[in-house]
Amino acid sequence: MDGVRVGKRIVGTQSPVTIGWENIPKVEGGPVKRAFFTWFQPVVLFSLLAFWYWAPNSIAKASTAVGIGIAFRLLLLSLEWVNPRHESWKLTWKEFVTDLFYVSLGYTFLGLIEGYIGSDAIIGAIQSHFDLSKLAWFTALPLLLQAFLIAFIFDFGQYWMHRGMHNWYPLWLPHSVHHYITQLNINKGAVGNPVELFLIGLGIGGFFDFLPRAAMMAGAIGMAIGSYQHINTRFNSPRWWRYLFNTTEHHSLHHSQDYESTRSNYSNTFIFIDRFFGTCLDGEAELLGMEGGRRMSIREQMTYPFTEGWKALRERFARPATAVPAE
Amino acid sequence: MFARLTDWIWHIDGTVVVSRPMSSQQAFDRLDPLFRQPGTSFERARDTLTFSKKDPAAQDKMSIIDRGTLQFETAQGGGVLRYRMTSKALLACFLAPLMFLAFAQLTVAIGKWEKSSPSTEEKAKKKDDKKDFVPQQSWIDKTLGSPAPEKPKKDKKDEDEGRSPTSAYVFAGLFAALYVIGRILEARVIQSLFRKRLLGETTASPRAPTVMAF
Repeated sequence: MDGVRVGKRIVGTQSPVTIGWENIPKVEGGPVKRAFFTWFQPVVLFSLLAFWYWAPNSIAKASTAVGIGIAFRLLLLSLEWVNPRHESWKLTWKEFVTDLFYVSLGYTFLGLIEGYIGSDAIIGAIQSHFDLSKLAWFTALPLLLQAFLIAFIFDFGQYWMHRGMHNWYPLWLPHSVHHYITQLNINKGAVGNPVELFLIGLGIGGFFDFLPRAAMMAGAIGMAIGSYQHINTRFNSPRWWRYLFNTTEHHSLHHSQDYESTRSNYSNTFIFIDRFFGTCLDGEAELLGMEGGRRMSIREQMTYPFTEGWKALRERFARPATAVPAE
Repeated sequence: MFARLTDWIWHIDGTVVVSRPMSSQQAFDRLDPLFRQPGTSFERARDTLTFSKKDPAAQDKMSIIDRGTLQFETAQGGGVLRYRMTSKALLACFLAPLMFLAFAQLTVAIGKWEKSSPSTEEKAKKKDDKKDFVPQQSWIDKTLGSPAPEKPKKDKKDEDEGRSPTSAYVFAGLFAALYVIGRILEARVIQSLFRKRLLGETTASPRAPTVMAF
């Protein structure tokens, strides 16, 4: 394959990719369907922001956010059936069960560990030695600005963590497992080795528990934008949306079987961070995965970083073979 | 005896009756595309086809199956396809609720241990300074009618009576329900797949990339 030149890079030499928004298919169907899949994303985002902005304190709490999150996931699952992006990404029973297994690990086992060695524990330790009154100025900022700053700081950190994973072998090992997915569905973001899920789950949300409303709004921004990274639904995202925010199109390129395309679109929420650092690639891909699209079993996903890491260490520290002189 | 009682958990058996003249070779020729998939190896010997799959693609229509045997018996005016296949995915889904019940028990045990730990009281004392913190509200938010922020409450973990095992119980229930659905649904999907192939009702390829613009 010849590929296509984008800046200094040539992408699509190993697997087909579509570059440029003008080449990406649009939602097909009647005017109602097209309007729905054009405005769904902005309407959800602004509705959630309005809800968290004006909801009474008795409602604006974490349990409400969890409920909204679950309902939103179910809604997006139904949209995958109504308007799939690719037939080859259709959710099967096996894929759904596999994805749900990783989601459930996050809610149970990993949640348990987080409290001891994850960000919750680290933040708790820092907070216990920190004078909250020093942050009073932050609470005086407009709520939307507080929410944006929380979401942006988090995403900025995630960008560099993610980029680091693609550029430093010890971090790549746990992250590589996530790149063996061969299709995008709503729960695919949870698929990965627990070590990576732990690293990517390191957040700053706990720092802002003294600002519950701003933290909820930041979470809503992340959910109403970041959820579309892994989804098999075609949207006609407005131009301004895809300029500012990460989309399925961006993330499908990141998961492409084409190596050069995977080295792009690292942010979770704000694609303008990628644009700023020159790692943004506008387009989409259908053929995803590693090793030509080999699907990795759950067992291998659990052990792969360790077995590959062990192999790499052995190679690095192997004694050079000593030549025996001929008699 | 034990195997016979438990085999149904991860085995899919079935038959497809073909009511038109067909040799075993013709029948397996029609089923052939199902086994020409990445990660699938198979052998044909007269009226029997055995196959196994390693890491089948998500798009493989038989990806739930790991190995199996198909036999085609020719009868007067038709034939019967009999198959017996194993699925580790079904077995894993059957066992998953047990794992989540174990997580629930672990959560309860850790919650009890945390409550009895002497460090909890010390932590609660340290967190008390949060109560003295008075959050401000921007004049913009006040004007637009956003509710005024409340003083931070006591640390959430201190308020909780302990860690909750609810999510682990919910997922145990979900996987139990998904097992029942998968056990029934996937057997029907496989049977329908074989029937359609044998009767020549479908020729769809499992994966064809649709986007190739350069």
